[in-house]
Amino acid sequence: MSKKEIITGIIVLLIISMTSGCLLSWVYGATKPRIDEQKKIEAARINREIFPEGAKFSDTITENGMTYVEVYSADGGLAGRVFDVTSAGYGGPVAVKIGIDGELRIKGVRILSHTETPGLGSKISDIGFLDQFKDKFGNTLCLKKDSAEGTVDAITGATISSRAVADGIKKLQEKLSRAEK
Amino acid sequence: MKKLIDLKSFSLGLWKENPVFYLMLGLCPLLAVSASLKDALGMGAAFIFVLTGANITVSIIRRWVPAHIRIPVFIIVIATFVTIVDYSMAAFLPPLHRSLGVYLPLMVVNCIILGRAEAFASKNNIVNSALDGLGMGLGFTLAILAIAVLRELPGQGTVFGIRVLGKSYTPFLIMIMPPGAFLVIGFLIALKNSMGRRKNKC
Amino acid sequence: MLNEANLGLIFLSAFLVNNILLIRFLGLCSFIGISTNLKSSVGMGAAVVFVTVMACSISWAVYRYLLLPFRLEYLRTAAFILTIASFVQFEEIIIRKKVPAMYKAFGIYLPLITTNCAILASAFLGIDYKLSFIQNLVFALGISAGYCLIIVLFASIRERIDSAPIPVNFRGVPIAFILTGLMSLALMGFKGLFKL
Repeated sequence: MSKKEIITGIIVLLIISMTSGCLLSWVYGATKPRIDEQKKIEAARINREIFPEGAKFSDTITENGMTYVEVYSADGGLAGRVFDVTSAGYGGPVAVKIGIDGELRIKGVRILSHTETPGLGSKISDIGFLDQFKDKFGNTLCLKKDSAEGTVDAITGATISSRAVADGIKKLQEKLSRAEK
Repeated sequence: MKKLIDLKSFSLGLWKENPVFYLMLGLCPLLAVSASLKDALGMGAAFIFVLTGANITVSIIRRWVPAHIRIPVFIIVIATFVTIVDYSMAAFLPPLHRSLGVYLPLMVVNCIILGRAEAFASKNNIVNSALDGLGMGLGFTLAILAIAVLRELPGQGTVFGIRVLGKSYTPFLIMIMPPGAFLVIGFLIALKNSMGRRKNKC
Repeated sequence: MLNEANLGLIFLSAFLVNNILLIRFLGLCSFIGISTNLKSSVGMGAAVVFVTVMACSISWAVYRYLLLPFRLEYLRTAAFILTIASFVQFEEIIIRKKVPAMYKAFGIYLPLITTNCAILASAFLGIDYKLSFIQNLVFALGISAGYCLIIVLFASIRERIDSAPIPVNFRGVPIAFILTGLMSLALMGFKGLFKL
């Protein structure tokens, strides 16, 4: 390879890389605000699903190893909190959002992400399953087959995934009630 | 020398030289995101955009790129288009972006895209390169949709998320799990072989 | 999460539970193409282990110390593929000069590795899971060991298959895919092996 060829090669590569870099930084600048906004909209939508009566939601707060947003009602009082919890599922971590009101009652549960088996464990995202946790306390949050007091029906063929969600909720509630005492 | 506008460069990719079934290329996204039709359609659209964009760009710059550095140049061009799709999808279709996950940026090493840039776009004019990109992209999309139908319908009883098989249908779950993808493509290639064309290479 | 798990779990998760070939569907082109022969499969497997571990460590450092401080995360795709491509070229030259025996063993597979999506994927996934350097190293080792294990096992099966009576239309690639499906089915059993 002659010297001239090497130099043209370097110049061409340089021009292409710079064009690509400039183009990408423009794309990044143009899409970044929208990506952030979309994330916020998505989070707000889930929070509103869990707390339909919430008028205002705070920014994310991290405290004592817990991540949550505070929910305020229309009159400005604290209506409850929505927690981000990670629980160990069958195929990997399950990210759950749990809404809890001032009396530590479960207001609503939504699944953010999971890697459970499609068609079986993935049904933990079904509203019908998640609504079973509403307004419940302590051992009633267990699966029926795990505890005599349990009231939650596990998803057929996906006991471990169902238990992951139930455990996540129960642990959070226990932690909060300990913190209150 | 090829004609200025040759419609054949478009139609070849659709069936006769379908990048997937004929050339056995670009298998990873094909199997990984074909569990649901929605994801498959998204992947196909992204694929057409990147392939056409990369083909056009490579065709434009082909005269100025010395042969010994063409591969890195092609890779940069492809990576640029892939990143554009990646960020636009994150901005406008976040749920789709989430479910395509790591397979979207991985288009950059997809052998179909680099293969077309090297084998076609670097030797042909802009119009034909664009047509080739569209044709090969559509061929890929058709293949991935075909596999997705064969997985989603028996696996969940739905098409595009809409239930078509009655409630009493018990889903054949294996189809939407990883083994199902391998079985479907194995049988599809066997079907294509039985239709007379036996040419396999990777 | 994976970045909170201990190193053994990270390794097993990458090695078996989320096997790169059978569960994540990555690196399939080379897998189907090369596994027809046991000897070349061993060579390819060894080459993949070596390159994945090195390339992942380098691209981890590139991301952490070059892209992040300058807020250039959007150049990740381009930067990683170029890093891997130039690393492979560089390595090929070094190995050919310094360790000819090693070059003889898997040198011819090195150029093929640049477009092996398993390697780029390991680099991406390590960043996506927010792993530390050591975790990333173990993760890369697990992924590539998983690739190596499956390609060697599969090549042994395929060599036997050659002498089996198979319908004409299924010979070659189709039966290879169906076999892969069955192996993948076996590997699904590892899902839920442990909790992360």
